[in-house]
Amino acid sequence: MRALTISIKHFIAVFLLFYSACSPAGEADAVAVVEELHAALLNVMQQAEPLGFQGRYDTLAPVIQSRFDTPLIAKVILSRYWDELDEQQQNRFIELFKRLSIATYASRFDDYSGESFKTISVEELKKGRQLVKTELISPKSKPVRLEYLMHPNEGNWYIISVIADGVNDLSLKRAEYAVIINDKGFDNLVGELEKKIQELGDSSPKS
Amino acid sequence: MLLTRLNHLIKIFLILICFGLVSGCATTQTTAGDPDPLEPVNRASYSFNDTLDVYLLKPVAETYAEYTPELVRDGLTNFFDNLAYLNVVLNSLLQGKIDQGLSDATRFIFNSTIGLAGLVDVATPMGLPEHEEDFGQTLEAWGINEGLYVVLPLHGSDTGGNLPNLATSFFLNPLTYVTGVVLFPLSAVNIINKRANLLEATNIRDEAAVDPYSFTREAYLQRRQYLIYDSNPPVEGYDDIFEGEDGTAGEESGVLKIE
Repeated sequence: MRALTISIKHFIAVFLLFYSACSPAGEADAVAVVEELHAALLNVMQQAEPLGFQGRYDTLAPVIQSRFDTPLIAKVILSRYWDELDEQQQNRFIELFKRLSIATYASRFDDYSGESFKTISVEELKKGRQLVKTELISPKSKPVRLEYLMHPNEGNWYIISVIADGVNDLSLKRAEYAVIINDKGFDNLVGELEKKIQELGDSSPKS
Repeated sequence: MLLTRLNHLIKIFLILICFGLVSGCATTQTTAGDPDPLEPVNRASYSFNDTLDVYLLKPVAETYAEYTPELVRDGLTNFFDNLAYLNVVLNSLLQGKIDQGLSDATRFIFNSTIGLAGLVDVATPMGLPEHEEDFGQTLEAWGINEGLYVVLPLHGSDTGGNLPNLATSFFLNPLTYVTGVVLFPLSAVNIINKRANLLEATNIRDEAAVDPYSFTREAYLQRRQYLIYDSNPPVEGYDDIFEGEDGTAGEESGVLKIE
């Protein structure tokens, strides 16, 4: 009986040790998510030509889909207009925005000239969010500071915004889309985004 | 010659008056209140600049970029950046950044001499990096708010508080004191070269932006903040956007189950 108690205690001790060692939403995990994205981008850059736009799109889609918290991003971008939409419109926007994000990455990262990514540091923000600071180093130009705003949800880390050299992508889009919704309405915004996705695919020279 | 100099001065004087008007009603940009009260006028200027760009400047810059060897473009960029660098030196010192000011002064001297009148950037590999300072940042450091977002014809995006920089950069640029015969072609080359350097950035804007005017404004204003904080803006500001304008914190992410 005593032996059982001791072994249960041992078991609990080991379990707790194990559990705290792999604490969910630890710092290393947020960095790992960003580095996973960077690895995917590098891969796509190096294979840019054989893959073509569609190939790059298909390669990046799973990473972006699973590592960006698109629903939250969509909600923040539309801010006060979000509640004015019905569920169908909201879902439509989320889906559209996801496709736009992937298409933008697939279009932008379309060649390779020795670039590399370097993770620099992590900072704690409010409410458990973190900022992962990295740099995109290119032999041909000044390094670009890329900072990823991360938030944890159910044990996983998600990217919620990318800040490139101080310019916050989320704020940028929020300002733009607010103008369009205000002047021309939600359906018009949807139309513009569909058009944008189409243009990204068409304009990519190596598709 | 005197007349051109006078024209320049009149232009600057008028701009300074405008500065007085726009910075008088300084607000925090992009978040609270109306970030762009001058929007109708700004949009008109933006349209004007854009038309000029699309039909004249950009095609010339693209041709220039295509046929000019990289080395020549780098040399010209270095040359013009160096001539404009005294403004950086002055503003570094005015902001109390003495070490940086000394570094910048040394950079200017080395590039102008060893760097063959600025054609070669010998200073950066020597540990004297390029900084970006202007009078608007100086005023901000002195506690004077940046002012409103303005788009000026030809000049493009700026903030009310940075308009005096047009004056300081003008008077501190040796090119100003060169005769018109040399100045005009040199200025033309400078403008075309700068435009060519920005082709990538404007292509990104054209690809990504759904409303180029707002896109440019947001990107510009955020970049100003970035420069004011010397590339280290307080990170606490980044997630303000998630606190919600109507008080709803963006906490419940509503992450859909990923298939």
